[in-house]
Formats: sequence, C-alpha cells, structure tokens
Amino acid sequence: MLRRAGRAAGQVFYGMTTFDWVRDLRRGRAENESLFLLIAFGDLVGLPLLPPYYSLRLLPFVMPSLERWKRALLRERDWTDLIGLIEGAE
Amino acid sequence: MNSLLVLILAAAGIVLGYFVYARHIDRKVVQPDPKKATPARMYMDGVDFTPANRNVLFGYQFKSIAALGPIMGPIVAVQWGWLPALAWVILGTFFIGWVQDYGAMMMGVRRDGETMGALSYKLISPRARRILMIFIYFYLLLIMGSFGNAVGKNLMTNPRNPLGMIIVVLMGILGGQMTYKWRRDIILTTVVTVVISFVGIWVSTLPGVAAFFTAIYGGAKSPVLFLGNTQAQVIGTLLVIVFCYLGSVLPIWSYAQPINYISFWIVSLGMLGGLIGLLIWRPGMGDFPVYTQFTTASGPLWPILFVTIACGAISGWHSLVSTSGTARQLEKETDALPVGGGAMFMEMGFAVMAFLTATVAFGGLKGYQDAGGAGAALGVFSKGLAAFLNVIRVPREFGMAYGSVFLTIMALTIMQLAVRFMRVASAELVGKQVPAMKNTHVGTIVALILTLVFVWVIPWLTIWTAFGAANQLMAGLALLLIALWLMSEGRKHAWALYPSAFMIITTIAALVYLAYTNFAKLGNPKITTQGFLASLLVGLIAVVLTVAAVILVADGVKALAKPGAHKQPKAA
Repeated sequence: MLRRAGRAAGQVFYGMTTFDWVRDLRRGRAENESLFLLIAFGDLVGLPLLPPYYSLRLLPFVMPSLERWKRALLRERDWTDLIGLIEGAE
Repeated sequence: MNSLLVLILAAAGIVLGYFVYARHIDRKVVQPDPKKATPARMYMDGVDFTPANRNVLFGYQFKSIAALGPIMGPIVAVQWGWLPALAWVILGTFFIGWVQDYGAMMMGVRRDGETMGALSYKLISPRARRILMIFIYFYLLLIMGSFGNAVGKNLMTNPRNPLGMIIVVLMGILGGQMTYKWRRDIILTTVVTVVISFVGIWVSTLPGVAAFFTAIYGGAKSPVLFLGNTQAQVIGTLLVIVFCYLGSVLPIWSYAQPINYISFWIVSLGMLGGLIGLLIWRPGMGDFPVYTQFTTASGPLWPILFVTIACGAISGWHSLVSTSGTARQLEKETDALPVGGGAMFMEMGFAVMAFLTATVAFGGLKGYQDAGGAGAALGVFSKGLAAFLNVIRVPREFGMAYGSVFLTIMALTIMQLAVRFMRVASAELVGKQVPAMKNTHVGTIVALILTLVFVWVIPWLTIWTAFGAANQLMAGLALLLIALWLMSEGRKHAWALYPSAFMIITTIAALVYLAYTNFAKLGNPKITTQGFLASLLVGLIAVVLTVAAVILVADGVKALAKPGAHKQPKAA
C-alpha cells in the first residue's frame, strides 16, 4: 500500500517536473528522424530525393518507424496543435 | 471565518464534487471503456500521441493549468467581499470547471485526438475555427499585457526583486548547460541550481543591493517617463521584455525549459512552506467583510466577478490543453476523470490558498488594502506568503523577496512561451504578405512591441478583466462543443449545456459592460492621452470579442437545432 502510494507520488512528481522536458527531447529527435526519412524515402509521399537503390538498402533499418512517420507527417494540423506546447498559460 | 474552516469547506467541495458528482457523470453518462483503444494507442507517433501513465499525466495536466490565474483572480475578487469570491471558486469548480476539463478531454479521446480548432470546425461551423483563432490571439496578447503589467510595473519595481530574478534565470541557463552540454546528473543539477537560486534571492534582500537598484530606478521617487510610467516601471518592463525576447529566440532546451524546471522547485517549495505555515497559524479573517458592495472598482459583481476569477473556477484555456495536449496521451478512457477532473479540483485548492493570502494574512480589510489591494494582486500574494512563511521562521524580508521572485518567474516562464507562440502565429498569418514576419527576430519584436503598448498604456485591473473575459468566452465555447458532442453520441448533455449557457451569457454581458464603460470614457473632456488610448484599445477588443461570441453562439444554436445533432439516447 505504502509502496504503491510512493510510486504514484513519484509518477506525479515526474509529470510535474521533467515529463514535458523529455517530450521536447523526443520531439527534437522525431523531427530529425522525420527529416532523414523524408530524404531517404521521400518517394513514399511523392518526393523522390534519393536514388531508390540507396533507399532500398536503408529500408530494413527504418521499416519499424515508417508507419509512425507517415502518420505523423500526414496528420492534419492547425494552430491549436501548438497550444499543447505552452504549458501553464494561466 | 477561520482559515481552517475555509480549508475544510474547500476539502468538502473537492470530496463531494469529485467522488460524488463527477464520478456519477463519468460512470453513468459518459461511460468510459478501459478496453477501448485511445488515440494515444491508435496513432502512436512517439511524441504527441504516446500513452502515458495516469499519475504522470495528472502531474503534467496540473502543472499545465495552474499558474498565475488561480493566484491573481481570487485576490482581485475579494474586493466584493470574501463570500462571493470563495463561493465562485468552489461552486464554479463543482458545477462548471471540472465539467469542461474532463468533458474536453473525453471529447478529444472519443474524436481521435482532434484539436479544439478541428472540433469547432466539425461540430459548429467552418468559421467557428477562425473565430477560435481570433480568441487565441487576443488571449495571448492579453496574457502578455496583464502578466507583463503585474510583473514589470509592480513586482519588478521593488528594488529587492530584480537581482533574485536575474540569478534564477542564470541558474536556469546553467541547468540547461549542465544537463545537455556537460551531461551532469539531474539531481546534482537540481541541487546546485536551486540552492544558488535561494542564495541569490537572499543576496537580493541585502541593503546594498536594494540601494543599487533604487539608484538605477531613479531614487525613492522615480521620475515619470512614457505615458505616466515611472522610471522604475519602464526599467522593470524592459527587463521583462528582454527576458521574453531571449525566451523566444533561443533554443527551448537551453533557456525556456530549464528555467521552467527551476521555477517548479521555487514555486512548489514556496507553496508547501506557505501551506505548513498556514496550518500552524490558522488565522481568522478579522474584520474582512463577507460582502462589500455590488459595484466596485472593477465593475458590478455580475458579470465581472465571474470573469475576474477564471482559472481556479473555470478557464477556457484548460480545454485547449486537455484536447491538444493530454487527450492524446491517455492510456485508457477511464484515466480522463482522475487526470482532467482531478487536476481541476486540485487547482481549486490552489485558488483557495491564494484567497487565504488576501483574506487572513493581513488581519482584515485594511491590511489587504495596505498591501496593495485588488490593483496589486501579486504584491498582496507575496506579502501574504511571507506572513505564512514567517510562521515557520523564514524571515519576513526574505519571504517577501522570495514571494516576488516566485511570482515573477512564474509569469515570465509563461510569457516567454506565449511570445514564441505569437511569433509562429504571426508568421503563419501574414508571412506570405509580409515575408519579414517569417524572421524569428522580427516576429518576436513585433509581438513584444504590442505587449509594451498594452503594458504601458492600459491599467492593470482593466486588462485583467479583459483577459478574463477572453478566457471565459473560450470556456463557453468549449462547453458548447462538449454539449454538441454528447448530443451527437446520444448522451445526456444538460450538465454541459447549462454551464455553457451561463458562461456565454455572463461573458457577453461582461464584454458589453467593458465596451460601454470604456467608450463612455472617451467622451470625457478631462481624459488624458494615456486614458484615451487605454479606453479605446480595451473598448475595441471588447467589441471584437463580443461580435465573435455572437457569431459563434448563432452558429452553435444552429448546430444544436440541426436534425443530425441528436441521436437516440444511449442506455444509462
């Protein structure tokens, strides 16, 4: 019981302190990965930038992230998407 | 009334509100399904859509919604007496606040993690999205104006504040360097930066340091510059502007984010110390009146009180955070109540704490007015917090400087991100017509010049009311969207629709009052240039927001009346 409460308090604490920091880092990494995928596999979204030979050699390494990348790239966005980045605006 | 009784009353409100009313709505009406895939699971992208533990999300949501709003609102609102302010904080959260936060989160989860923009486009009308954008831009401008005014023209003019603030900012930069460049452990980084920040705040209270800033500010009686602002106010606001400029143009990891992190420690330790001091002291309200009069310096109790306390009772901003931020990270649908509802009820506790600093810390009404009253809410809070901290043997002088730095840094961490957002927004809006606006520095400078105009020209109480009105209008819209969504799912919706009607009617009345009183001032032959500009600006903003609200309500009513909006009720 006490251990569970302690763990929950730790998780709340993490949420209040470094959770958004970690998310920003993830966002930065995702942007870099997205750029790489766009260069290497641009033809998947209609932008052939790299000769297919090299793309095919890279394919096994990027296979796990392809689906996620396409979903993130093609998602509809508007201004209100950015709101999530402004924490504690009150 | 004794402070302990107020805390017990607030705790009772939380227990009844969360465990009885909110839980009933959650289980019987919305009926979340823990086995249903949430957007975080369906569209996982590792960044925005990522399932997170509900305790972590609770901490994140609370931190995202609780900042200066729940502190300033109740302190300003006690000018109507303590009862109206306390009643609105508790009953507002009970019947409206959590409904919006939780409802927006569930709506986001059930509608594929769509943002408020997309939801208003689909559920109300295409132009509702554009109107929402107008709200957001004005909202951000008013945040900058009200926070910039409260900090730059009030807190920063205290010569014991600037050095502490500068040291905390420097510690934030050091924290960023230690974490990212030197790869130091986060615990070591935290200890070093937080301890040095506290030492810096203490150094700022030394007489020599205060004398230095007094000399820079132009002596005890600072000369008047720019539209009636004193030299101290001009320097104070310029310091704020420089801070925001750096926050907007520097990489987020090196500046904004680590400063935000350090400020968490300063704020949470201060609140914890204040709460302990309050519980030990348990002072009464003395001669603080239950009710003063219907019309005060801010305006009539209805509708102005209801926009004066926004965050802490109900705030439209939370709906944006709940949809664009948290709804996309919920692991299970059943987590929405503890995260959305729970964080809102906890914020109510935060607002009650601020309420107590105004009503019990000074022994009565005169003490509250001497501390600055409604026109200097942040000053009241820092002095009240110092009184609570004094109970646990924190010297009053240090406590006041600490309270000032605590609030300054809290406001600045928000302002730097708001400028960042305004810069991006202006590049999106007019970047094609004016390519220079796409430049980071140009976009930031334009946003900051607009901020300076608001800060230097408009009186704080007026801008705070306008800010509250913009915020509450967004709350009315969010509640309307929630009601429409519930109808589209064939669920009971009165628990969202009635609060929506109340918020929209109250906010439109507040905006009409603001527009009327400000335009009426323009005809006064004795009005100063500053007064004329301030009234014109606020009047115009109130008109724009009123027109936007009327269009929105008209579209919302049409959407409500649409035959497709209603589905057969689902079994409860």
